[in-house]
Order: sequence, then structure tokens, then C-alpha cells
Amino acid sequence: MIQKNITPPHWPLMLLRFFVKKEYAEEIEGDMEEIFYDNIEQHSIRKAKRIYTWETLKLLRPALIKNLKALQYFNQFNMFGNYFKTSLRSLMKNPTSSFINIFGLSMAVGICVLWFGFASWVNDTDQFHERKDEVYLVTFFADLEGKEQQFGTTPTPLGEMLQQDYPQIKKVCRVKDASVVVKHEDNVFHERIRYVDPEFLQLFTFPLKWGSVNSLKDLNSIMLSEKMSIKYFGGENPLGKSIKVIFSESNSKEFAVAGVAKKLPESHSVSFDFLIHFDNQKVASPMYNTSDWNSFVNATLIQADNPSDIALIQQGMNKYKILQNEKHSERAISNFGFVSLAELYKKSMDIRDGICPPYYESNTKAVLILGVITLFLLALACFNYINIAIVTAAKRLKEIGVRKVIGATRIKVITQFLSENIFVTSFALLFGLLFGIFLFIPGFEQINGFSMGFKLAQPKLWIFLIGILFVTGMISGLYPALYISRFEVVNILKGSSKFGKQNPLNKILLGFQLILACILITCAVMFTQNTDYVAERPWGYNQSEALYAEVHNQLAYEQLNAAMAQNSNVTSIAGSVNHIGKNHATTIVKLPPIKEYEVQQLAVDANYFSTMQLTLIKGRAFNQHPEADKQAIIVNEEFVKTLGWPEPIGQQLEIDSMRYEVIGVVKNFHSYTFDSKMQPVIFKVANKADYRFISLRVRNGSERETYATLQTQWNKLFPEIPFQGSYQEDVWGGFFEKIKNHGRFFQAVALITILLT
Amino acid sequence: MKKTKLGEFEELVLLAVAALQQDAYGVEIKRELEERLNETLSVGSIQSALKRMEEKGFLTSAFGEATLKRGGKRKRIYSTTSLAHKVLREMKDIRAGLWSAMPKLSHQLKVTFN
Repeated sequence: MIQKNITPPHWPLMLLRFFVKKEYAEEIEGDMEEIFYDNIEQHSIRKAKRIYTWETLKLLRPALIKNLKALQYFNQFNMFGNYFKTSLRSLMKNPTSSFINIFGLSMAVGICVLWFGFASWVNDTDQFHERKDEVYLVTFFADLEGKEQQFGTTPTPLGEMLQQDYPQIKKVCRVKDASVVVKHEDNVFHERIRYVDPEFLQLFTFPLKWGSVNSLKDLNSIMLSEKMSIKYFGGENPLGKSIKVIFSESNSKEFAVAGVAKKLPESHSVSFDFLIHFDNQKVASPMYNTSDWNSFVNATLIQADNPSDIALIQQGMNKYKILQNEKHSERAISNFGFVSLAELYKKSMDIRDGICPPYYESNTKAVLILGVITLFLLALACFNYINIAIVTAAKRLKEIGVRKVIGATRIKVITQFLSENIFVTSFALLFGLLFGIFLFIPGFEQINGFSMGFKLAQPKLWIFLIGILFVTGMISGLYPALYISRFEVVNILKGSSKFGKQNPLNKILLGFQLILACILITCAVMFTQNTDYVAERPWGYNQSEALYAEVHNQLAYEQLNAAMAQNSNVTSIAGSVNHIGKNHATTIVKLPPIKEYEVQQLAVDANYFSTMQLTLIKGRAFNQHPEADKQAIIVNEEFVKTLGWPEPIGQQLEIDSMRYEVIGVVKNFHSYTFDSKMQPVIFKVANKADYRFISLRVRNGSERETYATLQTQWNKLFPEIPFQGSYQEDVWGGFFEKIKNHGRFFQAVALITILLT
Repeated sequence: MKKTKLGEFEELVLLAVAALQQDAYGVEIKRELEERLNETLSVGSIQSALKRMEEKGFLTSAFGEATLKRGGKRKRIYSTTSLAHKVLREMKDIRAGLWSAMPKLSHQLKVTFN
């Protein structure tokens, strides 16, 4: 029998009602329904619905469907053909203005394509991992300088305990990063290595070039990224070859290459250079204890099939929180949290010490800024187009008049202008796409030093482009079309229509175009000036004519010192534990009775101030005799300001329950880039055994020569260890390069703006 | 003959309408033909054939009763016109004439078909 609640599928029914001729609708609909209910008795409901849908589609025959309006439009094909012809003619007639129009629009479209490429590069990051929605990073929240902060690291034992306690967790992977030296034949380099559980490659589905995912289970296996494979082995397949990993001076191990990852998609945040089994940490440091709550791993990842499982696990996390806070009281955990791999990159700016590299943080902002610039340029191109279109249309008034006389309605004239416009815009779109692919994207990639892996074959791009086509076509064409179609035939043919003068809106549009152009050009000038300003801004010490190198122990320092001291170009040498621009220690300074301050501490020797040319504004530097100033510190101005001392010299402080006396104040200096805030800094006398840096002041003009000598000396003394040092000017890495690049980008935008206007 | 413009499928539909008399509406015609031809036909093909022949004047139609199974929609009952009968008879005569003209051939055909 008929069940009331089962009805034919909805959308085919709608289709049927829409397309089939009215006079046949009742009969055919009834037939279809009768057959449908017959079918339900014979087949499953799903099959009956499928048959119904299929039959509906087969109903769409010329004999049965309505004469749709759209079909009638085919009669107007000639009309559109004529529009096409007239638009081509008017384009050819005014080659200069058509060129400016099309060129301007295509520039703007090119920038749009660039923006799209960049935005999709940012948004697609890490989305290629197959289990991105099932894999979660375990994080914790703790207090950091009075604010709750999310951390991406995890206590080492947590991963194992979670797996034991929750059957819902299918896989757990701990990740621990370390710096090691990797050696294969003559290639010796400092590298970052990842100790991981064998599940790593099942959670992060990096495609492999050679080898198998399971080979990580072997303690003696090592997995390489493609980049590293090429660095050490060239293009050949390195499977089975051996690589020596030197963990420390006394510990090293030979590994066999068991796999090489394929080149990663351009948009990734989590990556690796080398992977070895987690248990190899015991080889690196025999004391390593996986149940020590005081030690942390860089990341713990878990895989759970259901998001609801994560909620369940979240509720049980209190147990571990108590365990952790008992053992490790320094930084009390307030809660644990989970972040899915799919969202990890987007949230990486909130997570401290996460496995996502931090420099991706600025990208969301960059997409926004670039988006605004894109919109500005597009608007500029549209206004430009409108203004030119109105002027050139003056020459076509007669044509419009004649069309109107023949019987064209106002709507027809509007349609004509809009379709012409879409036609011109599609030209611009084509050129814009070419500009984007061959000029803007490669230029942008070169300026910023990355590759966004732009692909043409993605449906989103084409939807985006068609969207742009219609939006710009409509925006730029609507006003001219409305404006031009409004003229009275009689006035046109009499020749009494005056053009463009009496209309205030035209003036507003022109003014707006100029304002937009001014804004963009001002931005560019400001950026360029800023670049120049930053380049000449003082660092607070003399960063030029200075070199530094990292040393691995005291002996290395002594040897290098002895070798370089004979060089006549070297005027001063200093040893230190920390080095400006490279690193510092964070220390708590106590001002009895209760005040505490977190400061940056640099442990240096007496020569450091003269070598780096830090300016002492009060007091004195350290005494040459290392024991003399064991209880003395030198501070920077910021420190004095933070503590609010009128007279800093002679003040007493406590660090690690030792008393210290302030003996000198140095001028403020920028440790890291200008972006980071000025921090209070203290200098202490370094213990000779802890020296990790050597700094040299050299004679003006001899930087290159001395740097080369330094490298040669190093290679002679320590052929096994790669040299790590540079000019002090380069200590901020690509900072200046980056600033300069921003300037260059804005200059390019300004150039396009000028071209558009 | 040349004026009739009756296709093979149309002829079958027309015959089915003539045979079904009062029951000749879409679904019933489809069922009848499916049974005899031993194949599945689509509603669309039957309907378009019916509409074409109505236009050509072989068929007339009128609404019939509505049933629950059709969701309250009325059937359309088709009936053949005298023109249709004339054409059908002509077709049959032409065929019969041709069949009788090829006694020898029919024997050979049988062999090939078996």
C-alpha cells in the first residue's frame, strides 16, 4: 500500500514542474507518481527514488518542455553579435584609451591573482595531511608574566600515560628536537634532528620518495627530507647508506638511511630534516628518563577518531595536571588543551614553543594588507575605467541616438554597454592572469624568498576569476551605461547635449580616483623612507667592523683566541657565554625585600665592552682580573629606568641568593631586531669554562680579510666541526632584507598606481 | 503513404492505444508495451510519442478520473482517430503485400534467423 510519508524526491519534482509544459504537467506528474509508488512495492525506496530522478531527466525532451525565455534569447544572438562587433570597433577606434583601460584593469586583476595565490597558500597550509582532523597536539596553559599562555610542549611522560589510560587514543607520538652534527663522508654539518615515535609518519602523512613508513620502527634507521637527501647524497637514492649522527663529544651513532620524504607541498608548517626513533635519546644521553615530569618534549600528538573522545579526555586531564604540578612546581599548569592539526597553523600564533615555526604568524596580517591593497587597486582601475568610458562615450552619442531611433529601449542600450564592458573586462582578465602568473607571483616570490606553489588547475581560482569578471564588469560599466542611456534622442541628434560638465557625480568619481592614487603613493613613499631610516638607525653599539663565532668549549676558545691574537687586523678579542643578537639567559633579579624583575642576562669577559663598543655612561667596565668582579654587575639604562633608581652605581641586588653590586651603566642597545621591545639587561662576569662565543673587533676595511682568516683558522683547528659565525652586522639575519623587500613591494604598487592614473 | 510520417515506435504506441481502448493512459500504455516488447521504456519516450501524434491528428485525449495512487492527479485517456485507423490499416496492407511478394526469401530468412 501507499505509505503517506514517502514522497518522490523533491528536486526532480521541482525540475519537472519547472520544465514541462503547463498543459501536460498534471498528467505527466501523475504518471510519474503512479510509477514511483509501483516501484516502491517492487524495489527499495532508494532505488525507486533513483528511477524517478532518472526518468525525470529523460523527460526533458523538446516535445514536452516549455519554450523557455532563455531559449527565446537565442533569437537575440544577432544583437549580441552586433554588440561584440561595435565594441571591437570602438576599441580599435580609440587605441590609446582602450589600452589604458585594459592595461589598468589587467594590472589590478594581476594583483588579485597574486592575492588569491598568496591567500590560498596561507589557508592551505598543512591541509594535505590525511588525518588532519583526527590528530591533535597536546598543549598546556600556564601563567607567563601574569598572563595565561598556551604552550605547545608537553611533560615527557604524559604521552605514554595517555595511551595507557585511554583506549580511544589510537596512536601517540612524542617529538623531541635536538641540535646535532651529522656526518657522511666529507659532509659535516650542524643539523636539527627530530626524535620521534614511529607513528610520526602515520599522523603526518608526508609522502615518501623512497623507503617505507614503517622503517622508523628500527632503532638504527634514519629518515631524511628530500632537501637533506640532496645535501648529503646528491640526486641518488641513499637507501641503506650510513650516516653518522654526533650527539655530543662523547656520543655518536651510525644510522642507515631507511627513507626519504618527497618534496613537501609549498604550504606546510610542520616539517623535518631528519627523523630517528625516540628511544635513541638514551644513546644521546644515557641518563634520559622518559618518566621524568621535569623534562619536556617539543610536542606530543595523539590520534582520536572522534572529536567527542577529545572532550572526554579533556575532562580526565586534571589527574595529570596534579601529577605534573607536584613534581614540577616552577611553572604551575592551569589546564591542558588540544589543538587539531587542521587548525594548528591558524592558532600557532597563540601557542608558545609549538612545532609550527613562528614566522608564519604575520601571514594572516599580510593576507589582509595585501587584500586591502588589492581592493584599492581594483577600485582605482574601476574608477579610472568609468572616467575614461564616460569621455569616450561622447564620441558615440550619435550611435546611441540612432539605436534609439531604430527602436532600442533604454534597457537595450544599458545591456549593450554592460555586455561591451564584460567583453573588455574579459580581455583584461586574460591579460591580468598572464601578468599575475608571469610577473607578479614570481616577483613577489623573489622579493619574499619563498615559493607559493601557485596552480592554475583549481576550481576555486576560476570561480574567483569569474566573480571578479562580473563584479568589475558591473561596477565599472553600470554608471557609464546608466549615464549614457539617459540622453534624449532629440537632443543628441540636434547636437545640443553637453557632456560630462554639468554632472557633479563625474567630478566626484574623478576626485575619488585621485584620492585613492594619492593614498597608495603616500604609502609607498612612507615605506621607502622607513626602510632608509631603519637602515641608518643606530643599534646602540658599533655593529660594523665586528665578527663573532660560536665555540664548543673553553679549549676551542683558547686555541682560536691564540690563533687570532697574532693577526694584526684584530684590535680586540672577547669571550662570552652569551652574545648580543644571538642569545641571552633569563634571570630573576631580587631587590630585597620583595621586588622581583625578569631580566636578560649576558655573561661576558672584561674585553666584551670594548670589543662590541658598548657605551658606558656611568661607572666602569669589569676588571681584567676575573676574580675581582665576581659580585659585580653592569646594567643598561632600561634596567635603571625599570627599577627607578636615581643613582644606580653602588646599588645592591640579589640573583640566585647571591648579592651583587651595580658598578656600571651602559647605553641602551638593540639586542634583537628593532621590532622587539627594549628589555632590561644585566652583564655578569663569565666563567671561563662556559665560553661559547668569541667576538673580534677588527680594523676598518679589513672585515672580509679577517673573516676569511677566521674561517681558515677554524677549519685548520677543528676540521670535524662546522664553522658557525658571521659579521656582527648580519646577526639579525634577514631582518634588513625583509624591510627592504617590503619597501620594494610598495614601490611596485606605487608604480602600478601611477600607471593607472 | 508518404504523408503519414509514422515512425516505428509511434506505430507501436498507436496500436497499443487502439488495443487498450478505455484504459489507454500513459502508465498503462507503457506497461502494455513493456510487456510485449520485453524491454524497459521511459516515460519520456512514450509521452513525447503521444504528444507528437496528437499534434499530427492521430490521437485525441480527454482527462479521466483521478486516483489516490496518482496523488490526486487526473489521468489523460487517449483514443485513436479515424485517420489513425486508416493509416494503421494502410501500413498493415503495405506490409502484408510485401510479405506475400517474397515467398522464397522468407525461407532463406528463416535459415539465417535460426
